[in-house]
Amino acid sequence: MGAITTLGHTAQATWQEMREGRSGIGPITSMPTDILLVKIAAEVRGYDPAAHFDVKRLPLLDRVSQFALVAAREAIAQSGLDFRADGRGARTACIVGSGIGGENTHTEQSRRFYGENNPRVHPLTILRVMANAPACHIGIEFGLTGPAFAVASACASANHAMSQAFDMVKSGKVDFAVTGGTEACITAPTMKAWEAMRVTADDTCRPFCKQRRGMVLGEGAGIFVLEEYEHARRRGATILAEFAGSGASADAVDMVFPAVGTVARAMQLALDDAGLTPGDIDYINAHGTGTPANDPTETKAIRQVFGTHADQLAVSSTKSMHGHALGAAGAIELVAALGALQYGVIPPTANFVDPDPECDLDYVPNSPRERSVRAALSNSFAFGGLNSVIALKKAS
Amino acid sequence: MSDVQDTVFGIIAKEASIDPAKITLDSTLKQLEIQSLDAVQIIFEIEDHYKITLPDRDPNFDTESVKGLVEAVEKLVAAKAATPAAQG
Repeated sequence: MGAITTLGHTAQATWQEMREGRSGIGPITSMPTDILLVKIAAEVRGYDPAAHFDVKRLPLLDRVSQFALVAAREAIAQSGLDFRADGRGARTACIVGSGIGGENTHTEQSRRFYGENNPRVHPLTILRVMANAPACHIGIEFGLTGPAFAVASACASANHAMSQAFDMVKSGKVDFAVTGGTEACITAPTMKAWEAMRVTADDTCRPFCKQRRGMVLGEGAGIFVLEEYEHARRRGATILAEFAGSGASADAVDMVFPAVGTVARAMQLALDDAGLTPGDIDYINAHGTGTPANDPTETKAIRQVFGTHADQLAVSSTKSMHGHALGAAGAIELVAALGALQYGVIPPTANFVDPDPECDLDYVPNSPRERSVRAALSNSFAFGGLNSVIALKKAS
Repeated sequence: MSDVQDTVFGIIAKEASIDPAKITLDSTLKQLEIQSLDAVQIIFEIEDHYKITLPDRDPNFDTESVKGLVEAVEKLVAAKAATPAAQG
């Protein structure tokens, strides 16, 4: 498990903040905010690229690839696997989600071209912008020569990527996978584009509560090492959790408004794939964007799948703390789900004020809760109506 | 009909592909069956036409009438005319 988020530059630091219920959302520091109406985000702060990368290598690395590499290094170091030994690299997939790709590079080069009338575009622009760059850089650094590619499905990119990796390991196509999601698109044009859509909050992110005003943009990465269970057990690996199943569906109705039935079906498929029943689940890390549309729809879908057990569930949206990191969201949220399974602590829904009658589940408002978690779901739903759900079981 | 009203009706009709004759000051965007993505495009076109910035959530386009939108635009256009130097 590896991560870099607004809450910390490692998965462990991120988890520590989540379990304390501290939010990383704050005033934007990386650019002047005069032009912005929404002046807050969940930025990765205090990050110095030169502390992580050789100056000769940096021109090839957009911020989105840097984040992926920082997270991958942590995850792979923790796994104890040397992918260059025993031909492991060839039996390892590398699948990394990103909603946008190298947006900082795209913005910077467009500014030079259009803003400064400078016809010279940086020669490494293409290599920095392409959405598969993060997966390629991880592969090059660690010698992963199995199937490698990016998955793009906006806010569900990470969950789709990890589900794809899981299926490859499960089917025996590979023995290992390095997978997750990465995003770095807090630039002025992107912020203005979100503003124009009128779905971003200008105060903070308050999922599921009455005063919610929308989502808050975040950034970062989360990367995990998946390994075939018996193999991991035989070598005495520290198993964080069992990746038990995944489910996916597409609403095929509307580009922005989610549909209860297909959202519910993605959760049901994840349970079925994992061989779990609704009663086995103790915690759901919700998609919980804090928009007017998502939160009641997700609530209804959870009720549809879980029936009376819905009232026994702890449901939280950690986006209240790490923002909405789009293509990295599901990966950062897997840190929360893994923490809940490992440590028996539910990270709360921060910034919660008053309940909304349309959102009537137990959202673990504001304070973390000690609770043993046997199995958990992690939900991601993307613009375009793309739903991806992951089921995890406590390591046995 | 004021110039602003005329322009706003025209933008609504064009963006939502509806007959301008259907639009009245008392209609809500909901009654006109205008979806949220069309609504944000209407706001964008109005803002871009007048070079103004409408408040994020006021008027509330789901429940309030077209009148509220026209009045908000008229107010901003008047304010802009009064202080031309302050507008970008």
